[in-house]
Amino acid sequence: MSLEVKGCRELQSEVIARDLCTLCGACVGMCPYLVAYRGRIVALDECNLAQGRCYAFCPRTSLDLDLLSQTVFGVPYAADELGTVQEIVIARARDEGIRSKAQFGGTVTALASFALDQGLIDSAVLTASDEDMLPSGTAAANAAQILGCAGSNFAAAPTLAAFNRHSAGDAQSIGVVAIPCQALALANMRASPLENRNNIDKLKLVIGLFCTWALRYEGLARFLAQKVPLNRIVRFDIPPPPANLFQVFTDSTRIDIPLDDVRPFIRPACDVCIDMTAEFADISVGAAEGVRGWNTLIIRSHAGRELVEAARAKGIIETAPLPEQNLAHLKEASLLKKKRGLRKVIETSGSEDDLLYLKLTSEAVKGLLS
Amino acid sequence: MTSITAYEPGASQLLMGNEAIARGALEAGVGFASAYPGTPSSEIIGSLAEVAGEMGIYVEWSVNEKVALEAAAAASFAGVRAIVAMKQNGLNVASDFLMTLNLTGTVAGLVLVLCDDPAALSSTNEQDSRPIAKWADLPLLEPATFQEAKDMTKWAFELSEEIKNVCLIRSVTRVSHARGDVRLGEPMPPGRQARFASTTVGQFTSMFVPVKHSLLHQKLNKTREIFESSPFNWYAGPEKPELLIVTCGSGWYYSLEAVKTLGLESSVGILKLGTTWPLPEKLVQQHLARTDKVLVVEEVDPFLEGNLKELVGDTFSALGPLTFYGKRSGHLPSFGELDPDRVMGAVSSVLGRERAAVDPEYAKKAQALTGGLVQARMIGFCAGCPHRATLWSVKNALKLDGRGGFVTGDIGCYTMGLGPTGFFQLKTTQAMGSGAGLACGFGKLGRLGFSQPVLAVCGDSTFFHAAIPALINGVYNQSNFTLIILDNSATAMTGFQPHPGTGASAVGEPAPKVDLEALCGSLGIRVEVADPFDLQDTTPKLLDLMQDDRGVRVLISRRKCALVRAREEKAAYKVRVDSEKCRGESCGCARLCTRVFQCPGLVWDSESQTAKIDEVICSGCGVCADICPASAIIREVA
Repeated sequence: MSLEVKGCRELQSEVIARDLCTLCGACVGMCPYLVAYRGRIVALDECNLAQGRCYAFCPRTSLDLDLLSQTVFGVPYAADELGTVQEIVIARARDEGIRSKAQFGGTVTALASFALDQGLIDSAVLTASDEDMLPSGTAAANAAQILGCAGSNFAAAPTLAAFNRHSAGDAQSIGVVAIPCQALALANMRASPLENRNNIDKLKLVIGLFCTWALRYEGLARFLAQKVPLNRIVRFDIPPPPANLFQVFTDSTRIDIPLDDVRPFIRPACDVCIDMTAEFADISVGAAEGVRGWNTLIIRSHAGRELVEAARAKGIIETAPLPEQNLAHLKEASLLKKKRGLRKVIETSGSEDDLLYLKLTSEAVKGLLS
Repeated sequence: MTSITAYEPGASQLLMGNEAIARGALEAGVGFASAYPGTPSSEIIGSLAEVAGEMGIYVEWSVNEKVALEAAAAASFAGVRAIVAMKQNGLNVASDFLMTLNLTGTVAGLVLVLCDDPAALSSTNEQDSRPIAKWADLPLLEPATFQEAKDMTKWAFELSEEIKNVCLIRSVTRVSHARGDVRLGEPMPPGRQARFASTTVGQFTSMFVPVKHSLLHQKLNKTREIFESSPFNWYAGPEKPELLIVTCGSGWYYSLEAVKTLGLESSVGILKLGTTWPLPEKLVQQHLARTDKVLVVEEVDPFLEGNLKELVGDTFSALGPLTFYGKRSGHLPSFGELDPDRVMGAVSSVLGRERAAVDPEYAKKAQALTGGLVQARMIGFCAGCPHRATLWSVKNALKLDGRGGFVTGDIGCYTMGLGPTGFFQLKTTQAMGSGAGLACGFGKLGRLGFSQPVLAVCGDSTFFHAAIPALINGVYNQSNFTLIILDNSATAMTGFQPHPGTGASAVGEPAPKVDLEALCGSLGIRVEVADPFDLQDTTPKLLDLMQDDRGVRVLISRRKCALVRAREEKAAYKVRVDSEKCRGESCGCARLCTRVFQCPGLVWDSESQTAKIDEVICSGCGVCADICPASAIIREVA
């Protein structure tokens, strides 16, 4: 990596103190200093090392997108709307049981279980919520455990802390279900120039999730606790536009909250994000706008293509062509996020020459801002 | 330590100053002794406690200094000679009672020994106790030698009985804790029947205050007369010295050494005063008349200096012009300790002589002589100290909570929690119990925008001493804080004296054990108990208490002092480091155990670049095994 690797102190001053932390969890689980606690990364003590994996892996320190793209896909970074793409389809799980529990088409759950079943991975790191809807990473070794993690939480989760811990153990081939910043951090781990590596070589599959933003747990929890005891909540949903709602489900009721009421809890780190579709995953999955019960599925890597094709062949998932209009919308939404993110980066740094955590060619910046 | 009764009368023995004071009390036939431990005073009552049985006297560790003085005053009222000892901070606690006891007066001899700590070697202040003598109109004696420490104490009982009032003795660390030869007298059994008989109406009450105040002044005048011929005051030097040093207490040895080293015996005289309040005016004037230059040498405040100047002001026409040197003139500091070098500097400066410089290599030479014997180590908690473990959990809980919470503390071993081995957690340390008192106030600032969690810490002994009223205040006024009682089952910092929670008395007999949980629980508040060595349990418990955020909560963090454990129990674990697993300075550890946790039982081996256990120092608590991120510290049940 051509960019400078610093240590825990700089991680705190450049990322955490400036509210750029995405809470991906990449810095957690490797040392006794950094821990994740209720939506925050906390440094329990001063680590005095000049260079650390915490800084090197962070998706908000120094991102050389070309290097990451070369490392993950073997090609330079495609500074367009959706990153490296082999194919885009819509997909859903064939298993209705999975679909009924999942947010949209159950594609993620189905593919993760399938990868496990096929021995492509021996365990999967996913995000689960505790009884108070506090999300955190967990390692699953069977389909039932994977299904237990189905559904979206919307609060940011330090999932990669579980990857760091899990990969230090006996697991040999690990899949991760990651939101874009987490996929970026995993790519950072692969490209790390530090001698002291984590067990990133055990990473065999990254299933990315589309993401527009994630919420601060503590703020959200305090807000929701005024409406319903947290331990009664079973899931959240954000129905497609124009509903503009944040829905909270308990066993017996549904509470509709105007989306604008939860927007104040969006992590500031999401404002500078330029990746909506998890561009550094093997495959990326999101909602399929206007196609109820289906997912949009972007196949990016060779490994991703093999998995999807095998799953299709074995009847685990079914796919269909992505409607033209959907592709246009997807690109538009993704580009909008890039532009907003980049504008916010420049607004924060005060200069087009300082893109905080991004290394983008000036042409790419100009292209995005034009 | 040999008991103070083990020495034959007439023999000359090497005694610690505090032992000499205790022996003096025995030779005066003391019958009652009480104190709350406090460095540098603790050994006075401690050595009396050891001989209580054989001498037939009563000795107690009281719950605080005020109660100690009250209990001793009761003995005096009942005709039994009594002694109380306390450090300078303790006097503040006792002074409420003292400031009326002086008016009612005493019956049998009552001696109050005040041990000051110049330079605050073991204190939170370096308050000079002596002004209390002037304030309370009570006689003050200041021993300069170990012999005087004994003789003055014995005589103080006589004086107390002659004027029917408390007699004060002021010692300092270097008198109390150093040792010197003392020629001994005969210990006397108390031999008095205790009986309270108030003969005069209102004698021991607050009736007729102005009358009693006036009587007090008469007693002081009588004392002054007695002091005029006291053998504790003397002059040595030329008839007409160029410079007169007036000194007292520890200043005397320093002055003597300074004059001798400078070779000025023929031009500098020393007036050594043992009775410093009230001043024996005639004696002092007689010596002041020898010269026109006076240097006053004393620790800490210019107490004697001020009183001399006051006296000169009253008798200016008789004495003529005098120039005073000392603290006011800047020749000596009015803070910290004195030493011969500082006094030499002052004398040389006053006399306009070149100062005999100390060998610049002195410190190096001293270090070379002792370096091999003494290992350089910062001040901090012992290996296996439960306070380190508690403060580790406190640190982590506060960091995780993230609302800017902080710790208010007070006085005890855990005061060192303000430094690196307590992870700099204690943000305030003032008086006994003041951590809880401050927490009461912080916890009521909510309506003024305050939102930080407040943790107060106090030791078990300190809890009984002064934190209970603050805790009750917090409950009554509905404050918001968590009190952590660091229950190490000892008054550890002053030498493991028992206290109301330990189940033992000062003389080692079984005593009722006050139940901390029940006592706190009776206030109707949430009380939790944790074992600080169980980090997995203590940290979340603390977080939960902190985030409860309503009213006052108590966590009793209970684990015996490491030094007490070392005496009473065998080590729980045998601890070792697996050097294969130890990550050392690499990313993923960065020497957490030796750099941050800093237990002296863990040492960094720069050769192997791994941590290792110092088996001599390790107490086998096993806590470090829980903090090691690589599970490289192995603890096996010993």
